Amino acid sequence: MGITESMLKRVGLGANKPSGDQPVTFWSKNRGWLLLAVTGALFAAYPFLPFMTDYWIDVAFFVGVYALLGLSLNIVLGEVGLFDLGHTAFYAVGAYVTAILNTTLHVPIIVLLPLSALVAAGFAYLVTSPVIHLKGDYLCIVTIGIGEIVRLTMTNNPFNLTGGPNGINGIGGPNLFGLAINSSTQFYFYTWIIIGIIIFCLVRLQHSRIGRAWNYIREDETAAEASGVDVRSYKLLAFVLGAALAGVAGNIYASKQMSVSPQSFTFIESSLLFCIVLLGGLGSIPGCILGAAVVVVFPEVFRQFASYRLLFFGLALMLMMIFRPGGIWPRKREGTGLDGLGIRGLPKKDEDLIPLGKPDPSILKPASRAVVRGVKLPPVTVAMDEGMLLQTHGATLKFGGLTAVNNFDLNVRTGKITSLIGPNGAGKTTLFNMITGIYKPTSGQIDFLGRDITGLKPHTIVSYGIARTFQNIRLFPSLTCIENIMSGPHCHARSGTWAAVMHTIAEVREERDIVATAAYRLDQVGLWKYRNELAKNLPYGKQRYLEIARALATAPHLLILDEPSSGLNDKESEDLMVLLQALVKEGFTLLLIEHHMQVVMGISDCIAVMDMGQKIAEGLPKDVYNNQRVIEAYLGKEDD
Amino acid sequence: MATFFEQLINGLTIGSFYALVALGYSMVYGVMKLINFAHGDLFALGSYLGYTLLIASSSWVTVHFGLWGGMAIAMLFAFVGIGLAGVLMERIAYRPVYPAGRLSLVVSALGMSIFLQNGIMAIWGSRPQAYPAAVVPSTRFSLLGLPVTTLQVVILLLSFTLMLVIWFIVEKTTFGAAIRATALDRSTATLMGIDVRVVIFFIFALGPALGGIAGVMNGMYYRAISFNMGWTYGLKAFTATILGGIGNIPGAMIGGLLLGLMESLFAGYVSGAWKNVFVFVILIAVLLWRPTGLLGEKTAEKV
Repeated sequence: MGITESMLKRVGLGANKPSGDQPVTFWSKNRGWLLLAVTGALFAAYPFLPFMTDYWIDVAFFVGVYALLGLSLNIVLGEVGLFDLGHTAFYAVGAYVTAILNTTLHVPIIVLLPLSALVAAGFAYLVTSPVIHLKGDYLCIVTIGIGEIVRLTMTNNPFNLTGGPNGINGIGGPNLFGLAINSSTQFYFYTWIIIGIIIFCLVRLQHSRIGRAWNYIREDETAAEASGVDVRSYKLLAFVLGAALAGVAGNIYASKQMSVSPQSFTFIESSLLFCIVLLGGLGSIPGCILGAAVVVVFPEVFRQFASYRLLFFGLALMLMMIFRPGGIWPRKREGTGLDGLGIRGLPKKDEDLIPLGKPDPSILKPASRAVVRGVKLPPVTVAMDEGMLLQTHGATLKFGGLTAVNNFDLNVRTGKITSLIGPNGAGKTTLFNMITGIYKPTSGQIDFLGRDITGLKPHTIVSYGIARTFQNIRLFPSLTCIENIMSGPHCHARSGTWAAVMHTIAEVREERDIVATAAYRLDQVGLWKYRNELAKNLPYGKQRYLEIARALATAPHLLILDEPSSGLNDKESEDLMVLLQALVKEGFTLLLIEHHMQVVMGISDCIAVMDMGQKIAEGLPKDVYNNQRVIEAYLGKEDD
Repeated sequence: MATFFEQLINGLTIGSFYALVALGYSMVYGVMKLINFAHGDLFALGSYLGYTLLIASSSWVTVHFGLWGGMAIAMLFAFVGIGLAGVLMERIAYRPVYPAGRLSLVVSALGMSIFLQNGIMAIWGSRPQAYPAAVVPSTRFSLLGLPVTTLQVVILLLSFTLMLVIWFIVEKTTFGAAIRATALDRSTATLMGIDVRVVIFFIFALGPALGGIAGVMNGMYYRAISFNMGWTYGLKAFTATILGGIGNIPGAMIGGLLLGLMESLFAGYVSGAWKNVFVFVILIAVLLWRPTGLLGEKTAEKV
């Protein structure tokens, strides 16, 4: 399969892989190339069409500028799902950097192109890193605030730099190695070639571990963090990259208009960008271009209606959301097969992938080596009891006046199944949340593999080798099953933005390892045939298994399962027990919260009992089973 | 001291406009989890409705009912008209989009806002209009030796009364309990026998209607009104809502008043040009200190 075809397929354009019984025709084989060639030819021919005027070439230029802005906002809003209604701030920074440096220091526009991107990116990092933890609408108002602050600052002309409300005039045009760009047609090609390069990079980014990590965050932030994704860094990265692209758009805009002024960077502009992304379809690259075309061309076509055109535009936005809420061209995840993942060098038959993902048994042995699968662990500092993998010492968590977990000592023996039982509301899940880093203990210490992990971030703890599932299943609903599991190996991979865009040898190998690991785990829990289904379409019981497979794919030493058998029938529970015992044989250590006594008594090596946040018993299943305090906790005290 | 008092009363007046608009924002948000970006434009529409009534047939209303009577009727007119507009808006732009999710709702709200703004422009023109001096009460008097206008006093009294009434309805009545229950969990509220449709109807009627009244008061106070003033007020009111803690009724009032005061004191003492920058910087600082606003409850996410 050609690179182009796979690329087109990934953006949702190309044909699905022809299945065996369909004859391979010239058309099906070269569809991707043909589509790309036709699109390219149309773009190239546009300015030379008969009756074409400079006016309509300029319109196409502005579609380009807005498409670029849409693509840049799409990273933040579409890929990561962050409400950014102040995106023009970064556009403005790019435009003003170009304007100021070109008019005062006469820096050439072409040098300012990367510089504007850099400054906008740096600005984005500075202003978003303190606020990136804010949720939903609170982040939204902060981005609006940033947008307004930037616009008002430009208007107020600090240090006579920005020219006040009138802005800056007399900006030069770009000069490409002696070829001055100044006509409408030249600007048209200049812009769309830049966009072409950027789209190429973005498509590769979308289909790398970085793009996937962004999508995991959009789907479920907590689950992403618990699968080893550094949520904060990836959100920041999205803002920084998005701002860089907006900076490029600002540079292009300033050099074409030869002037900039604050009126171009209002809140309305930001909300238009928001509309572009949603009109096209969240996370969809062709969608952004179509969305930009709608937003720019629509008012132009209705120009004859003069003041009514925006009225119609508002109406059209509403109608669009009523009749096609997913956007004009939403990104397709199903039906593209594993090819849709955009990973190179996969075997011809999907099944051949499974054996490649079988882990080396040695990596599952809890070792105290300094480096575990690419993650550099800190040196061993804590002495732990013989044979223990995890120990909590006096773990305590208070919510206001309520002590949810009180001075709890939990011991988890290497290679065994430990169960934590207790009545509802005893604090079991809270203890799990402390171990996995979601809550920070009020006091006490948690030791794992000879390291104090108290208060570390969840994604760090995952990379050290603790994986978990949730009581209420938390998957990434709109991603395919294989993509869900591919979040597991994420924390052990190292390729960055540059490697993803360049497809370096190491990156390609890493991606193949990730998908192979995911395939192996998917097959292990018996969900291989659902690999290309969306996770939300699986039945409940299968979703549980998918979540377990995702946790396994992080190659943990300790697997923490929160009520794995809840919602399963007796047959399914028995299957689960078989799977859990197989996992122990493979070398995993298990820690369960479980209410299903048949499961608990059948497979546990050791049981700890919790009531009202405290440990009331600990020991072998049969001892705990007959313990008077345990019986009281569950059934109440008998009257004398 | 006189300047301080002038800025104070000015700030309180603007703050009470913000607070009334913010109340509507907050009520709608609390129940629907929707940032109603068109809310500010309903405020502007209210201003224009009052204006039209007052200038109709050479100020017939004012001539027959006096200055204060005319003002009261204009407010009532805006109250009813904008209430109706709010309900219509929910039916047309939000109800069909609701299943599609929050982002689509935001776009629909932005579309509604653009539609309303340009609708106002199509009807009343793009040039700013002015409430005629003849219909605006402008008696000045001195309160404890400091100059105020009767209009300011009436605006403040009326706004505070309205805020108290809303607070009473939401916090102290059975119907208010139904609203709060719907805000917390819509499906459970339905199971408990609350007619959620009535709650939504009420929210979308009353919230915007308050903005309509604020629109008339704003027109009387500043005299000049323009088709795009909804953006500015909507944005400020949204800021006030978040400042106080979104979905929280007293939070919206405090947020609005605080915003008005900060703005006018900063404009009076430091710089008028930088006042909005100051407002947003304060907002961001408050959110860093209290991520869910001043009165917003700290919620631990259940995992």
